[in-house]
Amino acid sequence: MLRTTGLTKRFGGLTAVDEVDFELGTELCSLIGPNGAGKTTFFDLLTGVLEPTAGSIELRRDGDWVDVTDASPDETAAMGVHRSYQITNVFPTLTVLENVRVAAQAHGDDAATFWRNVDAYDEYVAEARAVLERVGLADRADDVAQNLSHGASRQLEVAVALAGDPDVLLLDEPNAGVSSESVGDIVDLIEDVAEDHAVLLVEHNMDIVMEVSDRVVVLNQGAVIADDEPSAVRENPAVQEAYLGGYEPGDLEDRNADESGAGRDTDSGGVA
Amino acid sequence: MLVILALVAYPAVYHLLTNSPVANLAVAVLPRMDSMVAVLYFALFAMSFDFISGYTGYLSFGHAAFYGTGAYVVILIANGKVPLLPPGTPFVVSLLIAAVLAALLAVVIGLVSFRLTGVYFAMITLGFAQVMYVFVRGWDYVASNPRDGPAVGSTHAEGFGIGIPFVDQLNLAIGSFTGDTVTLLGHELGTYTVSFYMVGLVVLLSYFAMQRVIHSPFGRVMIAIRENEERAEAIGYDTFRYKLGAFVMSAFFGGVAGALFAGFRRSVTPENTFYFLVTGDALLASIIGGFGTLAGPLYGHLFDHGVREFLSNRGQGGGLLPYLQETLSEGLLTTQLPGGISVQGFIQAALNGHASLYVGIVFVLVVLYVPSGILGTVRSRLGGKLSETLPARVWGDR
Repeated sequence: MLRTTGLTKRFGGLTAVDEVDFELGTELCSLIGPNGAGKTTFFDLLTGVLEPTAGSIELRRDGDWVDVTDASPDETAAMGVHRSYQITNVFPTLTVLENVRVAAQAHGDDAATFWRNVDAYDEYVAEARAVLERVGLADRADDVAQNLSHGASRQLEVAVALAGDPDVLLLDEPNAGVSSESVGDIVDLIEDVAEDHAVLLVEHNMDIVMEVSDRVVVLNQGAVIADDEPSAVRENPAVQEAYLGGYEPGDLEDRNADESGAGRDTDSGGVA
Repeated sequence: MLVILALVAYPAVYHLLTNSPVANLAVAVLPRMDSMVAVLYFALFAMSFDFISGYTGYLSFGHAAFYGTGAYVVILIANGKVPLLPPGTPFVVSLLIAAVLAALLAVVIGLVSFRLTGVYFAMITLGFAQVMYVFVRGWDYVASNPRDGPAVGSTHAEGFGIGIPFVDQLNLAIGSFTGDTVTLLGHELGTYTVSFYMVGLVVLLSYFAMQRVIHSPFGRVMIAIRENEERAEAIGYDTFRYKLGAFVMSAFFGGVAGALFAGFRRSVTPENTFYFLVTGDALLASIIGGFGTLAGPLYGHLFDHGVREFLSNRGQGGGLLPYLQETLSEGLLTTQLPGGISVQGFIQAALNGHASLYVGIVFVLVVLYVPSGILGTVRSRLGGKLSETLPARVWGDR
């Protein structure tokens, strides 16, 4: 679906992403690594927010690889690569429904229409309601986004990314800051969207990573140090050294009891 | 809707009250008819400012450039100074040309300015407008004394007609001395009243057009940009195009407002068109009335203008000062207050020519205590638009 070749990003002397060769198929691939490993920078490169220093990004479109290295964020989105954000990044004073509706509208042909009332376009409302149904926010449709609880706003974050039926979903810590009772909902949601999308997931909670992923890629200091099945990555000594030091698999259903069941890097999520 | 009705009825109410037993009070409190015309066209300018600034979040501090362009183009056409357009060009045609030119100017300014965001955008648009201000002040083609600005000369003695071009019966001229008077149902409507209705008609059409855009898919993208431009881009909007489009539309209506101003006053100066304080007045109207409400700037400007006129030092009727001087008894006026100042002197000192001071104080209070403005606050108190919530309040939910 998406691949990078020698993708590199330098900020002055700092190499945030270092010659990453990566290919995402129709799978749920997790991207893990300590803070500052370059995960979010990698997302920013894939979505055109940042321009790579070197290397290329290609997307599979109708059976052909298309170069999107220089595409802008709106162009990558239009080509079916959507992302969600680590820190909730929606339209705060709009309602939940309107948040998703405006995202759905971006993928139709009517976004630039300025002479017809927005209510004339039922299809986007219908699509938005279907997305809300899927993420479990259907009964909050008329709430204003900034009044949502943290857990619900994380669901909305994914809903906005899901609108417009993308091919590739880049989810940046959808669980960040979610209380342990609500983590299960978001995990279910991740597994659900992975059914019909290629998903690249950044996640700090190792229990979730081990449970949901088809494949795990480990970044350290901008470079890929492991790329394998979850169980193989867990046993990889280099990964243990860089990131997973002391990680013991916990039970996802029983995470309240097992507070140590995450990687050592849990500042922004995972364990409540 | 209620507001439109109230405005339609205003001339009659004004006429009635100023000829009634409470005439003194009415003259003091109510804005005069010609002021109301000014309120209308300037409110349109303030709305066009709110259209871009309140809905996309990009403060267009150089918006006066479009108002000025609209105004100058109308006067220049009337004076035969625009190639291919004779002085006799119908006003509606020159108004549209003026607005289109303002919109084209917005393309140029926008292409450069929308590379920046936030305060930098505000500053660069302000810079463009000030450059035009200085340029127009020195350009002796527009007037023999460009610093004082041009006026409509003898080539175009009759008033500017608003209506269907080339059909005299369907045109009514505007202007204080040159406008038409109309006899309707036995009442003669003065030139100000006719101007009020005709200018009001254009303002109303423009308002509906902008309202239409706000409620269209395009308008929703504008709001999305205001709310979170990064995310708007991430979900697939080329925000630059939308911002530029909104800017051009807003400039178009800013140009219409300027053209109406020139058509009514028949003379313009760089100071009351291109100068940055003109944008300042629009900003004031938008903030008092409610940012991002579109209709709010009308109330804001009506309020601003009403207060200014009420507290003005004009001797020619209207305002608090003449009213107090006329109605308070001689004995009271000459009473000495502590500090050796008479009541008369105190009123003079407190009211004469200090309207801006009081408007300024009111402005500070509004920003502090009513940050969403008149309309914004009323809407959030009632939980929706007035047209939807007011009937339910008055008659109960049926």
